[in-house]
Amino acid sequence: MIQITEDSFEKILHSFIHSEKIDLTNVSFIDPYGMVGLLEIGELCMLEDVRKTIILPRSDEVYRYLDRMDFFTFAKRYFYLEHTSTGAGAKYQRSSNSDVLLEITAIEKANDIHYIVGKVTDRAEAILATHLHYDDRAINGFIVSLSEICQNVIEHSENRGFVGIQKYRYQNLGKNVVKIAVMDVGIGFRKSLSHRFRLRSDIDAIDKALLHGASRYDDEGRGHGLAGVRKFVIQWQGMLSIRSGTARLSLIPQWARGRDQERNLTFFPGSQINILLPEM
Amino acid sequence: MVQLIQLNNMYKFDLHKLLHEELGNNFKDLVTRQSGQAIRERIERDIEREPDGSVISLDFSKIGVIDYSCADEIVAKLVSRLLSGEYGCKYILLEGLNENQRENIEVAVERKNLAVMAEMKDGSRSVLGSLNSYLKDTLEFIVKKKKATSKELSEAKNIEANTSGTRLLNLHKKRLVKRAEEVRSEGKIWVYEIL
Repeated sequence: MIQITEDSFEKILHSFIHSEKIDLTNVSFIDPYGMVGLLEIGELCMLEDVRKTIILPRSDEVYRYLDRMDFFTFAKRYFYLEHTSTGAGAKYQRSSNSDVLLEITAIEKANDIHYIVGKVTDRAEAILATHLHYDDRAINGFIVSLSEICQNVIEHSENRGFVGIQKYRYQNLGKNVVKIAVMDVGIGFRKSLSHRFRLRSDIDAIDKALLHGASRYDDEGRGHGLAGVRKFVIQWQGMLSIRSGTARLSLIPQWARGRDQERNLTFFPGSQINILLPEM
Repeated sequence: MVQLIQLNNMYKFDLHKLLHEELGNNFKDLVTRQSGQAIRERIERDIEREPDGSVISLDFSKIGVIDYSCADEIVAKLVSRLLSGEYGCKYILLEGLNENQRENIEVAVERKNLAVMAEMKDGSRSVLGSLNSYLKDTLEFIVKKKKATSKELSEAKNIEANTSGTRLLNLHKKRLVKRAEEVRSEGKIWVYEIL
């Protein structure tokens, strides 16, 4: 069985980009990173006038989850959707008792950020307060971080992006964890910063933006959005990873595993951001 | 201009109404640099018409979240341009703030080494941003007394008259207190008062 998450993204990316059909038949689990990742593969293909086929999961549970997350709303713009079982394709009743904090949402203009912030604020009490035990100040930090990270797509990518947020129960940790995925296939960190900084690599570019507040704009007061996100994630013992081009830089807390710097990954344009925030 | 209310030389901008008017949506949060820019430009157009000595009050009481980018675009840029003299001799006061808004705005103004007066929802007043300790102390003295002269500060803090005068003048240059000339028995003196 296949899981489509950040952990498996590198393995599947290469094959998905190079095959005509993206076979999700045996997918048993997919998270927001996996979903927005698939949509960005679709966006990238569309930019190259290619429309691939997605063979949808056999699992009713996964299919229902994709539907609940509004994945199909966007997926049908980019892909031909091919069903694998008789059950799939029928419209399921959406569950109102959901751990979805934000369905897959497109980021194209400032009003989209207002919509995202409004929606997450409405659901913050039910998920962030109840399951992560965030107080009012932490919820504010969460929403501001989300707003800053989403507007980076509009300000810097020169393309549209997607965001999705979901709460999970991590059995091994015995904790609830909220996952935020924000992606675009725009110009990426290196190109965005290249006219102001001499950069040796993608990792150098991500490092400059995340750890040193570098911005493509030279006016004072810029480049602090991502720095604020980093501060929030560290404060709440979360994990943050930014992938751009062929590299990924991660801030890894004690409870998680992974490498803080990865190079020579399969080239994927734009930026792919994953944030995990555990219950306190 | 339904959002602009004049009260004794104070011009109050209801940011919630302004948000609706400028962006045409029904949201209550001040987010994104783009939205902040639209709102700031509207405020700039309106305050240009107000006379010198006016206090421009930005009312946050019906606003939800304000993010760092929007706080920079609205508050930090307005204060920065105010201090560079772009709007003449006017003052800016933030009103109706909650703790989260205060914190986010403070981050934005601190980054630019600026300071702005703020009144919280409970009516308490404080300065947000960067201000050295002796100016902060002087400002607290004026907030407590509502208005003060250099002589009064000098006596209360046991400092030289020229030191107290310099401190008050510096607060005025930062547009954190108003200054008016008054004729008293000892002659004409400068009186510094809260916004």
